[in-house]
Amino acid sequence: MGLLKDVVKPILGGMTLTARRAANLGKNIVTIQYPDEMREQYQRSRWRHYLTRYDSGLERCIGCSLCAGACPARCIYVEAAENTDTERYSPGERYAVRYEINMIRCIFCGYCQDACPTGAIVLRKDFELANYKREQFIYTKEMLLEKYPGQNLEPYRSKVTGVEAPIYTG
Amino acid sequence: MAALESQEMVTITVNDVDLQVPKGELIVESVKRLGLEIPIFCYHPRMKPVGMCRMCLVEVGFKQQDGTVRKMPKPQAGCTLPADNNMVIYTDSEMVHRDRKGVLEFLLINHPLDCPICDRGGECPLQNNTLFYGPSTSRFTEVKRHALKAFPLSKYVTLDLERCIQCGRCVRFTEEISGDSQLAFRFRGASMQPSTFQMHEFESKFSGNVIEICPVGALTSSRYRFRARPWDLATRPAICTNCSNGCNIWFDYRAGKMVRINGRTNEAVNEEWTCDRGKFGHDWYNSERRLKQPMLRKGDKMVPVSWAEAYEAILQACPPSAGKMGGLVAGTVSNEGLYLFQKMLREVFGSNHVDYRWTRNRLSSSHPLSVGANPSNKLTPIAAYELFDSALIFATALADEQPMIYLRLRKGWSSKGTKVVVFADRPVEEKGFAALTVHYRPGSEDHVAEGLLKAGLAAGKVMVPGEVREKIEALSFDRIASFCDVTEGQFRQAVDLLSGTGVVVSSQSLLDLPEGVKTLEILADFSNGLGFDFNCYALGANDEGAARLGVLPDRLPNGRPLAEPGLDTAGILDAAARARISALWVVEGDPISRYHEKGDVVLALENVDFLIYQGTLANETANYASVILPMEAPAEQEGTYTNVEGRVQRMIQVVQEPGDAKQAWRIFGEILLRSGHSKPYFSASEVMEEIAQVVPSFGEVTYDRLEGEGLHLPLATSTDVLSEVN
Ligand code: SF4
Ligand code: SF4
Ligand code: SF4
Ligand code: FES
Repeated sequence: MGLLKDVVKPILGGMTLTARRAANLGKNIVTIQYPDEMREQYQRSRWRHYLTRYDSGLERCIGCSLCAGACPARCIYVEAAENTDTERYSPGERYAVRYEINMIRCIFCGYCQDACPTGAIVLRKDFELANYKREQFIYTKEMLLEKYPGQNLEPYRSKVTGVEAPIYTG
Repeated sequence: MAALESQEMVTITVNDVDLQVPKGELIVESVKRLGLEIPIFCYHPRMKPVGMCRMCLVEVGFKQQDGTVRKMPKPQAGCTLPADNNMVIYTDSEMVHRDRKGVLEFLLINHPLDCPICDRGGECPLQNNTLFYGPSTSRFTEVKRHALKAFPLSKYVTLDLERCIQCGRCVRFTEEISGDSQLAFRFRGASMQPSTFQMHEFESKFSGNVIEICPVGALTSSRYRFRARPWDLATRPAICTNCSNGCNIWFDYRAGKMVRINGRTNEAVNEEWTCDRGKFGHDWYNSERRLKQPMLRKGDKMVPVSWAEAYEAILQACPPSAGKMGGLVAGTVSNEGLYLFQKMLREVFGSNHVDYRWTRNRLSSSHPLSVGANPSNKLTPIAAYELFDSALIFATALADEQPMIYLRLRKGWSSKGTKVVVFADRPVEEKGFAALTVHYRPGSEDHVAEGLLKAGLAAGKVMVPGEVREKIEALSFDRIASFCDVTEGQFRQAVDLLSGTGVVVSSQSLLDLPEGVKTLEILADFSNGLGFDFNCYALGANDEGAARLGVLPDRLPNGRPLAEPGLDTAGILDAAARARISALWVVEGDPISRYHEKGDVVLALENVDFLIYQGTLANETANYASVILPMEAPAEQEGTYTNVEGRVQRMIQVVQEPGDAKQAWRIFGEILLRSGHSKPYFSASEVMEEIAQVVPSFGEVTYDRLEGEGLHLPLATSTDVLSEVN
C-alpha cells in the first residue's frame, strides 16, 4: 500500500508536469542567449556611473560632495581642490581631484544623480560590472570620467559581443 | 551676554505665555527661556547688538489698562529690543512669517547661491534660515551684484565679497572682542563691504574666529578651503595643546586625518574663542615626519624594531637603579604620561634627574614663585580677569603667551573699565586698550621692576619688609632710567593707575632672561606689597601639570622636597656632555631649537652613550638617538591636561595614532612592568586614580568629574607641603 502512495504516485505526478511543459516546447521562451542577445532595458534602468563633461570638454563635477552626502550606502568619496588658471578642470573655483565609488556597496538608487547640482554624475545602462577582485570595484575618477562629452550615451552595447541592449519602449 | 544693568524683573508675554524676565533683557534672549528661537544673523550673544540684518523681526505690542493689546504698526528687531513691563511679543504670527520671508528674499537678491562650492554650505545660518523661514523660489531675474571672490585677507582668512550679507559680525569682533580693529566697512548701501584698512593684510592673533561667526560663507578658512564638506567630517571634543591656556576645541577629522579646529564653548576658559595659533596650528598631526615605528640604532643605521626589542635594548643599555639616566620632557605630554615618566625614572632607573623646564633660569620648586601649586603664585583663574579694577602686564606678550587671559582682560576693560598698565620691550596688542604702555630697553626687566617698587614705596602704596625697602630706596630713579629708559614720571603714573582690586601678570618666559629670578622676586614684592594677586604663568600645554606632578629634580609628586635633589635641565645636559650620566631620555619637543644654548644640547646629545628619543615628530634631536620611540599626539590618546590656571581637562582619543605609536603613559607603564616595578596599567584612568592618591592637589580628580568645564585644582597651601615633610 505504502509503495503505491509514497513512491509511484509522486513519480507519476512529476512526470505529468514534465510532459505538459514538453507539449509547450518552443512557445513563450524567456531565456535569452546572453551575450549574443541582450535583454531590453527600461528607459529608467540605472547601472554604472559616469562623470560627464560639458560640450567644451570641461568636467561638470565641482567636487561638492553633495552626491556623497545623499548616498544612502555611503560609498562615494570626493576630495576637492582649487582650479587655477593654468590648470583648469571645471568651470568655477572648485573641482574633484579624487572621486571614488565603491561599486560593491552601491545600491544603484540614483540618489547621487539626483543630488548633483551640475548633472555630473549619471547612472547609465552598462550593467556588465562583474569582476574578479574586490579592489576592482572601487571605481576611480579616471574610470568614471567620460573621455569626451557624450561618450557613453545610451543604449548600451555589450563589452563582449558589441550587441546593443535595446530600450524597452512599451 | 551683555551685563544687565538691573535685576528688576518685568512681565512680558510671548506668544500668549506670560514670562518673568530681567528688565532690559533683549527679547531675542528672553524667548529662549520658552525654548523658542528667533532667527538671527547679526546678533551675537557676546557682542553688542546692532540691528543690521533685520532677520529677527517680531511683532510687538503693549498691554493697555483695559486688557487689550495695542500693537506697534511696524515689526521690531528682537535683538535690539529690551524687555519692559506689559510688553507683548509675537514670534509666530503671520505678519512675522511674511516679514522674515521678505528679509531673506532681499538678502538673497545679491547672494551668489554658490552653496555647492562654498565651504560654509551645510553649516550655514543663511542656508538654514532660508530653509526654515525663507521663500522656496526666487523672483529675481535681474543681474546679480558681482564682487571680489576668494580674496585672501590673510594667510588664514579668505574673503568672498559676493556672499557677504553685511551683518558686521566680523567688524564688531575685531573691534569688541579681539580689539585689533583690523576690519571695517567701506562704502555704503549695497556696495558696503568689510575690508581691512587700505587693503593691507588682516593681521590679528585671533582672526580665525571671524570665520566661525560669519553667518555666511563670506569669510572662510584658507587652510580648510575645499578640503571637506561638513557632512564628510566627524568631530570630537578636544583640548588645544599649543599653549598653556587649554582652550576647548572641536577636532574635525576625515578618514582619520585632522582637517580643522573650531572653538568649543567653555565659559571658564575660552568662552567660545580660539587663537590663531590653536586654530591653525594642528597641521602637524598629518605631517610626513610623524614617527610610526620604534627604531633601534644598529651600527650606524636605524632599523625598525618591535616594541619588545626596543624595551629590551633600553633596559639592557641602562642598568636599573644606577641613577645614570636623565629625563627631559616637554609640556605636551598628558598628566598621566608625566606622572609615570618621573615614576619610571625614579623607580626603575633610580634617578632623580628629571625636569620639564627649558628656560635659562629655573626656580627651585620650593621657591614661592615657581609654578605648580605654590601659594605665592596665585594662578588667577582666566574667568576672573573680567572683574579686576586694575592690572599690570609685565614683560609678557600676552596675546601670544596667554591668549585667553588677553581676551578676558580686554573684556574686563570694555565692560568694567579695568585700568591696564603694560610694561613691554616690544609693541604689544594691549596697547590698544591699556591706560598706560611703557616700553623699556630690552633686557632691563630687573631695573624696571625695581623702578616700579621704588615708585610704589614713594607713593606709600606698597608695603615691603625693611631690608627690601632699604635696598630699593638706596637706588635713584635716574640710575634706574639709565638702565631701562623709563622715567620716574612713568613709574609714578603706573603706580597711580594700579589701585583697587588688581592683578600682576607675568609668565615663565621671564626666567629666560639672565636676571629673571631677581626680576620675579622684586615684582612679586611689588605685587604683594600692593595687595595684588601675583601671577607667573606657565607656558607649555601641561607645564603646570608637570610641576604639580613632581616632574622635578627636587620635589616628589606628593610635594615632599628631596634632601638630595637630582640634576635639573642644565645639570642633566652638562652631565650628559661630560658623560657623567650614561643615558638620556628625551620626551617630545626639540631641545635643540628650544634651549637657549643650542651648543650645550648638541654637546650633550653627541656625548651621551645612549639617547632615547620619544616623540611624535622626527626632528634634529632624533638624529642622535640610539632608540626612537613613536608617541601618540595629544588627540590620539586618552589623558588629561592641566592648564595655566590649574584646571584639569580631559582629552579623549579623537583620531587613530599613526602606525605603531603608543601613548606616553603606556610606554612608561610598560617599562615599569617589564622591570617588575609596578602592576600593569590598563587605562589612563587607572593612572589618574594613582595620581589622585599620591598628589595632594589632584585628590579630587576622577575622569567622571572632568566632564563639562573640567576641574579647577586647588592651590596647595604651604601647610600641605609642610605636613608631608613632618
Ligand atoms: S546610486 Fe545610490 S548607492 Fe550608488 S553611489 Fe549613487 S547614491 Fe550611492
Ligand atoms: S558629482 Fe555632482 S554632486 Fe558629486 S561632487 Fe561632483 S558636482 Fe558634486
Ligand atoms: S563677512 Fe560675514 S561676518 Fe562680515 S559682514 Fe559679511 S556676512 Fe557678516
Ligand atoms: S539679528 Fe536682529 S537685526 Fe540682525
